[in-house]
Amino acid sequence: MWDTLIINPMVNTLLWIYSILGNFGIAIIIFTILIRLLTYPLTVQQMKGTQKMQEFQKSKEWEELQKKYKGDKQKLQQEQMALYKEMGINPLGSCLPTLIQFPIIIGLYQAIIRALAVTPIQTLDLYGHIYPFINAAKLIPINNIFLWMNLSQPERFYIFGIGIPVLAIVVVVTTFMQSKLMTPPAQPGEQGAQMAQAMNLYMPLLMGYLALTFASGLSLYFVASNVVTIVQYAAMGKVEWSNLLPGNLLPRNLFPARKQSAIVQSKPATKPASTSISKTSTKPAPRPTQKRKTPVKKAKTTTKKGDA
Amino acid sequence: MKNSRLILLFSTLFIVSSLLSACAGGAGVATSWPGLTVDPSQKVAYLADAQYVYAVDLTTGAEKWRFPTKGDPKVTYYAPPSLTSDGQLIAGDYNKVLHSLDPLTGVETAGKQWPFTQGTDRYIGSSLVTDQTIYAPNENNYLYALDHSGNLLWPFETQAALWAPPVTDGKYLYLAAMDHNVYKLEAASGKQVWSSEDVGGAMVGTPALSSDGVLYVGTFNSELVALNSQNGKVLWKAPAAGWVWASPLLLGDTLYFGDLNGTMHALGLDGKVKWSVQPDSATSHRAIVDKALVVNDTLYFSSETGTLFALDITNGNTRWSKPIGGKLYTGPAAAKDLILVAPMGLSTDKGNTLLVALDSSGNQKWTFVPAK
Repeated sequence: MWDTLIINPMVNTLLWIYSILGNFGIAIIIFTILIRLLTYPLTVQQMKGTQKMQEFQKSKEWEELQKKYKGDKQKLQQEQMALYKEMGINPLGSCLPTLIQFPIIIGLYQAIIRALAVTPIQTLDLYGHIYPFINAAKLIPINNIFLWMNLSQPERFYIFGIGIPVLAIVVVVTTFMQSKLMTPPAQPGEQGAQMAQAMNLYMPLLMGYLALTFASGLSLYFVASNVVTIVQYAAMGKVEWSNLLPGNLLPRNLFPARKQSAIVQSKPATKPASTSISKTSTKPAPRPTQKRKTPVKKAKTTTKKGDA
Repeated sequence: MKNSRLILLFSTLFIVSSLLSACAGGAGVATSWPGLTVDPSQKVAYLADAQYVYAVDLTTGAEKWRFPTKGDPKVTYYAPPSLTSDGQLIAGDYNKVLHSLDPLTGVETAGKQWPFTQGTDRYIGSSLVTDQTIYAPNENNYLYALDHSGNLLWPFETQAALWAPPVTDGKYLYLAAMDHNVYKLEAASGKQVWSSEDVGGAMVGTPALSSDGVLYVGTFNSELVALNSQNGKVLWKAPAAGWVWASPLLLGDTLYFGDLNGTMHALGLDGKVKWSVQPDSATSHRAIVDKALVVNDTLYFSSETGTLFALDITNGNTRWSKPIGGKLYTGPAAAKDLILVAPMGLSTDKGNTLLVALDSSGNQKWTFVPAK
C-alpha cells in the first residue's frame, strides 16, 4: 500500500525527471520543488490554522474562560471547544496538514534512496518499483555525479587532502535559517517558546549529522527542501527576517529552567538579568522567572502584560 | 509540562533519525546476497556473507574457519571467493580491499603485495583467476589485473561500475559492464581490442563464450544479446520477461537463463525459444537472479521466493521444487552428490542459516548455521 501510493509514483517521477534532464542532482532539486508545490495548499492551511490558534490563545475570551474555570478542567475544556466553534477554529487545523505532509516527506526521502540504488539489493528492489513506461534500461546505472559530489556517498570537498563536508555545513545553515525565519517572536509566557528554542538549535545539528553520514543525494534534498520552504513562507509573508539579526540568532536562554532557578536564588525577582537578554528584545527579562516562581494566575497576568 | 514536551520533542527527533537511518541503510543492513564457491576436491564450500568469509566442510556442514576471526560491521563480504591454482583464496570486500587467504586455514597471506588496496570502491563481483593472473572487477569502473603476488599489472577503465568478472578464451578477455558496453581486451596487457555498441542496458553478469566465438550476455533491457567476439557486432537479441541479471549457462546447443520476472528460458544458439517456464506465478517477487546449474539432465535454479527448482532440461517440466525459506538470490552449486543453496534472511532458533545441502532428490542433508 505504502509503496503503491507513495513510493512508486515518486520513484517513477524522479526517474522521469532524470530521463529528461540527465542529471540526478538537478532531478532531485526539481523533484523536491515539485513535491513542495503540490503540498503548498497544505502548507497554507497549516499556516492559517497555526495563526488562528495563536490568536485564540491571546484572546481575552480565552483568558477570561481560564480565570473563570480555573478549578474545573472538564468545564474549561467544554467551554474551550465551544469557543473554538464560535471563532471558527478547527483544533486540528494546524497539525492535520502537517500529519498529511509527513508521509509525503518520508516518501520523498525513500524515493531518492531507492532511485539511487547503488548496491545489488537496492538495484533488485528498484526493479520492482519501476513503471513499464519508464525506460529504465536506458537510465540505469544512474549517473550519481553532481558537481564535485557522488550523490550515493557522503560528501566531502577536498582541499589539500583535507575533506570538508561543505554540503553538511550548508544543510546546518539552511535548516537553522529555516527554523529561525519561521519561528514567530517568542512570548516569554508562551508554552511552546522553550520547545521552539530547543528545536531551533538541535534540529540543524541533527540534520547536519544526517548529512555528514548519509548519501549526499539526501543532503541535496535537505538543502532544496529548506530553501523551498523559506521561499514559500516568504511568499506568504510569514518569514521573521528580524530573527536573523545578530542579536536574535542564538537562543536567549538555552536552559531557562536551570538558569532562572539560579537567578531566583541570587536575585529574587526584582532586578532583570539584563546580560542574558539580547539587545533587540522587546521583552523584559525577569518575566520568565516571575512566571515560573509565581502561581498560575500571576503567570497569566504576566503574559497579558507582555502582549499589551 | 514543559519537560514532558521537551522529552516528546527529543523522542520524536530520535525516532525520525532512526527512521531515516533505516531508510538509508546503515551498518548491519544486507546490501547483497551470499557469494558461494565450491571446491569439491577439498570438500569445502567458501561462503562470503556480511562480515565473514566462511569455509564449510561439505561432508558435515561444519565450519572449518572464518575470516576475519572477529568481524567488523563496517567491512562486509559478498563477492564469491575465487581459488587460484597456487593455493590462494581471493576475496574482495565492500571496504575497497582485495584479500588473499590460505584456503586451508583462512589466514590472510602475509607479505608480497597482499592485500590489494588500490581499488577505490567495493568488490561486488568475484575475480576471474587464470594460471598467471587475477582479474578483479571493482565498482569504481575499473578492472584490475594482478599477478598472484598481488602486484598490479594493469587497470582497465570502463564508464560505469563492474559487478561481474570477464570471461576469457585464454588470449582475450570479454568484459560486460554496467555502461551498456561489452569490451574485448588483451588478457596480457589490458589493451582494448574493441568496444561493442550500446547493447541496450546495463550488464551485471559474465558473458558466456561459445567455442565458435559467440558471446551471450543478458541485459537490463530484458534481453539476451549475442555478439560476435571477433568484432563486437550484435548478432541477435532475444527478449526475456524481465531484466536478465544472471550469466547465461551455455550447454551444448542451448542457452539457459532466468530473468527477474521469474521466467527460466531455454534458447537455441540462433536465439529461438526452445522452452520457457515461470513456475512461481503466484507471487510478483519471484526473480531469478543467479546462474542456473545443470547436473546430469536436471536444471536447478534458485528463486527469490526461497524455492529451489529442479526442471527437466529437455522440456522445462518441474521435476521437484523445494521450499528452502528466506530468499534465494545466490545460484545453486554442485558438490559431487550435493546441491548447495545459500539463502538470505533465513532465521531459525539457532541463528541465520547460510547454507543448505540437498541431495539430487531435494532431501536436506545438512544446514550450516554459523556460531555467533
